[in-house]
Amino acid sequence: MVSQTIVVKNKSGLHARPAVEFSKLAAKCKSDITVFFKEKKINPKSVLMIMAAAITCNSEITIECSGETEEEDLKVLVNAIESGLGE
Amino acid sequence: MKEIRVSRTASRGIAIGKAFIVEKISLEPDSYNVFQEDLKNETQKYDEAVSEAVRQLELLAEENDIFGAHLEIVMDAVLTQGVHDKILQQNINVQRALKETAVEWISMFEAMEDEYMRERAADIKDICDRLMRILKGIDHNPFDGISEPVIIVAEDLTPSDTANLNLKYVLGFITQEGGITSHVSIMAKNIGLPALVGVKEILDSVRAEDMIIMDAKAGQILLNPEKSVILKYMKQKKVFDQAEAELVRKSRFPAVTSDGHEVSVCANIGSVEEADALAALHIKGVGLLRSEFLYMESTHFPTEDEQFEAYKAVACRLEEEVTIRTLDIGGDKTLSYFEFEHEENPYLGWRAIRISLEMKEMFRTQIRALLRASVYGPVRIMFPMIIAIEELREARGLVEECKKELRAEDIPFNENIQVGMMIETPASVMCAEEFAKEVDFFSIGTNDLTQYMLAVDRGNKKVAPLYNSFHPAVLKSIQKVIEAGHANGIKVGMCGEFASDEQAVKLLLGMGLDEFSMSAASIPLIKDLIRSYSYQDAKQYADTYRCR
Repeated sequence: MVSQTIVVKNKSGLHARPAVEFSKLAAKCKSDITVFFKEKKINPKSVLMIMAAAITCNSEITIECSGETEEEDLKVLVNAIESGLGE
Repeated sequence: MKEIRVSRTASRGIAIGKAFIVEKISLEPDSYNVFQEDLKNETQKYDEAVSEAVRQLELLAEENDIFGAHLEIVMDAVLTQGVHDKILQQNINVQRALKETAVEWISMFEAMEDEYMRERAADIKDICDRLMRILKGIDHNPFDGISEPVIIVAEDLTPSDTANLNLKYVLGFITQEGGITSHVSIMAKNIGLPALVGVKEILDSVRAEDMIIMDAKAGQILLNPEKSVILKYMKQKKVFDQAEAELVRKSRFPAVTSDGHEVSVCANIGSVEEADALAALHIKGVGLLRSEFLYMESTHFPTEDEQFEAYKAVACRLEEEVTIRTLDIGGDKTLSYFEFEHEENPYLGWRAIRISLEMKEMFRTQIRALLRASVYGPVRIMFPMIIAIEELREARGLVEECKKELRAEDIPFNENIQVGMMIETPASVMCAEEFAKEVDFFSIGTNDLTQYMLAVDRGNKKVAPLYNSFHPAVLKSIQKVIEAGHANGIKVGMCGEFASDEQAVKLLLGMGLDEFSMSAASIPLIKDLIRSYSYQDAKQYADTYRCR
């Protein structure tokens, strides 16, 4: 199991569009993924769960991956968040 | 025969035809019970509905981005799981399970602090409504079944409703809700169809296929009239239609009063296509081109070339003037590709020129496109929402910088392009004398000016009756601005609804307004009114209002 903590930079946080992008990426990953935000545990393969978590700009989130492709998957997701999810 | 009277009317015209009632479809779940052994079947029904929704949304997503997001949400595993669990654990049918799941999600989003997330509740509702319609076997288009010209009777109509409507088959509109500034009213006015809105008892009174006579100007609806009455109104309609055709025919003549005072009457438009329709109405100038359409219909900030092509297309079609207002977003107008921060008071917030002066690269792109288009026709640049002389100077400074760039790049433009401003804030009224010295023209935007001057939100039903452009404060403002303009040798126009108000035309004429700009359909009538007045009379009439 690998994990990394990262800061969300999108101006309005992970609202609709970036949430959709993020969930699409997460759904492609083979590992089991959990995102930790405040006290919440979120399944990022669900866009509704990401949106409902109301992750705002400058929030710290922790992404945890476990499975055969955990290293690559974590890297893909962290890169995507860092690059602002296409925004 | 039954008669219904309507007190406030939005448009004119007579329509005679059968009623087509737009059913308010119930999306409440059916209450059937499901046997234990059939529960699996119910979950399958949900999965099939999702597949159908995906099929519909994939088509829609090609046209509009928002449906791309809907597509992701409808396929969401957690949403599906929620519905499945409810069916299997509570032994309820798929429609009830969907409804309960939808309510949970919607209330969760509605409870959020963030405005944008709260608005996502509407997306989720839309998605669940789509699924529910599929499950209940309700056809998507409420206007299916119209095969002959009809009078549309509905509770209310939204832009997405009317997008499905073939206007060829519409004689007129009657809605139970809505006011004279609602979507239906404005649309009907633009296309010249009669409309009566806010007709409280209409849905209780009328049945499908009932014969209706509506006289929109008189505010009269007759249900199931006798033959003789129909014949009488057919004659009236003929007279009315002939008079309308005559107005359009006369529209080729200039708007000159009986004693020789000429004003210009121009069109407000919001797209290139609308410019095409102007020639048939003998309209030679555009007093307001809302450039927002380029930004709102796009998936990105429109490039210089994209804007140039659109402005050029409009400029080429008109002889007298094409006044293009620079981007006016914020308030109720937002962009799909740009996130606006939540504001407590969007109308007093980050909008129009305030955005342009902060996002300078975007603004320069627009100014360069406007300058380049000025070679092809009488383009004028107009800035919205100015409150301070510094804003005006900064915006004009950018125009000068862009001119310099174009000169250096050897790209042609009209060196003498006129630059003006909207007068729509109380601040710009109070400082009109100072502004008049630094612009080439004024255009009074009465919709916002009335709202700001009276501190009345016209979208708010509770205070809507207070919204009144005849308020002395608004009239005095208009008079003051016209005088300030004339004292400094510049022309003053008006591009708000007030300019096309039949009751206001004589007053505005008498106050000395130089240009009336309005939706194209109103122009023949207003021009005719102006020709029927004498300027001397109108001036005296304005004096009785004591606005000077």
